Amino acid sequence: MIWCLLAPSLAIFLAYRVLPLAWNVVLSFEDWSPLHPARWIGWDNYDEMLFDDDVFWQALWNTLLFMASAPIAIAMALGLALLVNADIRGRDVYRTIVFLSYPLMTVAVAIIWRWMFDERVGLINYVARSLGLVDRPIEFLNSFDWALPSVIVANIWQTLGFYMIVLLTGLQSIPPELREAAAIDGAGAVRRFWAITMPLLRPAVFLCFVIGMLNSFTSFDLVYVMTGGGPGRATELLVTYIYKLGFAQTRFDYAAAVTVFFFALLISVTAVANRLSGDDAGAMRAD
Amino acid sequence: MHRYPRWPIHLALLAISIAMLVPFYWVLKTSVTGENIFSYPPSLIPHAPHPFYYVDVWYYIPFARYFLNSVAVSVLTVAANVTLNAMAGYALTRDFAGRRVVLMLFLSCMMVPFQATIIPAYLITGRLGLLDSYLGLALPQCSTIVCIFVFKASFEAVPSALADAARIDGLSDWGIIWRIMLPLSKAAVATNVILSFIWSWNNFLWPLIVTRSADMQTLPLGLARFLSYQEDTTGALYAFCIMVLAPGILLFLLAQKEFIEGLAAGATKG
Repeated sequence: MIWCLLAPSLAIFLAYRVLPLAWNVVLSFEDWSPLHPARWIGWDNYDEMLFDDDVFWQALWNTLLFMASAPIAIAMALGLALLVNADIRGRDVYRTIVFLSYPLMTVAVAIIWRWMFDERVGLINYVARSLGLVDRPIEFLNSFDWALPSVIVANIWQTLGFYMIVLLTGLQSIPPELREAAAIDGAGAVRRFWAITMPLLRPAVFLCFVIGMLNSFTSFDLVYVMTGGGPGRATELLVTYIYKLGFAQTRFDYAAAVTVFFFALLISVTAVANRLSGDDAGAMRAD
Repeated sequence: MHRYPRWPIHLALLAISIAMLVPFYWVLKTSVTGENIFSYPPSLIPHAPHPFYYVDVWYYIPFARYFLNSVAVSVLTVAANVTLNAMAGYALTRDFAGRRVVLMLFLSCMMVPFQATIIPAYLITGRLGLLDSYLGLALPQCSTIVCIFVFKASFEAVPSALADAARIDGLSDWGIIWRIMLPLSKAAVATNVILSFIWSWNNFLWPLIVTRSADMQTLPLGLARFLSYQEDTTGALYAFCIMVLAPGILLFLLAQKEFIEGLAAGATKG
């Protein structure tokens, strides 16, 4: 009876989580497309990926840069969390405003930010020109230098509120007596922050890092709609590259090899982060 | 603790709030005037706002069709999530051989982002004959691990004497879930409904992969397609954006508490 209750969910997870992982691995060692039968080719796909595919390396590099933006977002969110944790009027309103962009449809968010970054009439160029920061408008999304940072800005705008909520939950779980006791002992605000708040906040901060990493692996919608991976391959992420390999070029086998690499990278980075945090992130998630 | 002045905090939060809201304002303004598209410098305050771009949307694209598809897929997803997650969540509160294995499996599955499964997921859905169908669109999201754990936590808080008494009176497990557990877990149900709705409503990658015909496209696909046809040349694009965003924003403002608690419980997208 118990198993009957579990069966539907188990079936879905086996079919759409476990089986795909295994299938990816098998597919990555094959030469296969819907048009001809599979042939075992060993490591050839991986050979091509590592030694003969500049786009793969570009996409990997962009994914790592995207990941590297997470600490910036988390630092900003930490500042915000401290501010909205203060005992002030209207703090719920501030929290709502900052969080509001998180649950929105990312396709729409991408269109909003395309419009903000528009070279002729986007608000950002308008402000920059009005302040005299630039003489001619910057084509943010068509520029090799600016496209990736622009996408990252849009991503931070959308995810900032979520980091803030995670950190705020962490802050609120710290007993106020600890800080009060330290204050009585003569510790200043800065000292209290580094000696009490930060160490106790570590699980929440590391959880944010894990989420940020996952984010760099999953931000398909934003990149696909904002830039489509361009100009050239300037904003190509591993996830958009996998999609294009699979569904634009019908190279399922090679896309599977890139996916296996992508997933192995994700798991190892998460494991390292978890180890660094003293297995705290996992503990918090299981709560 | 009233020693520090409040105004710098308010000032900082006000500045951040404005920065967060400005993109909404910019798009809302364009959707009622369209003037930014043709003029420089852009005006900061809308002149002569009109609703015509909102009307245009209905003529440019089959908005009603996209909307219907999105609603159908979301209703299917939400109904399946509440039912299947409640069943699985209840099962996990019981003792049975293999419980630890199932828990481990669920926790490991949480580590697998959907994006890492797209190629086989497409092939599997094809073998099931579900490409380009509502069921195919909904199926991978029909049960969510985070939401199973939300139910599990809520069911564990129900006094076990209640379930035991019901069982002695001859109620089946199925009856216990529907007559006792769910009515006592309103907050968990709300969290399940909201999270699964938002994930389904916003989903883009999976519909992009499984839909073939224009008739099966959902709102996010319609939005992306509209962008590729029109580029940024009409205010209707931004009116469309606002129309698509409005339900999500409304739902979020109404059920903020459940939404945030659910996310904090799961902390990762299932």
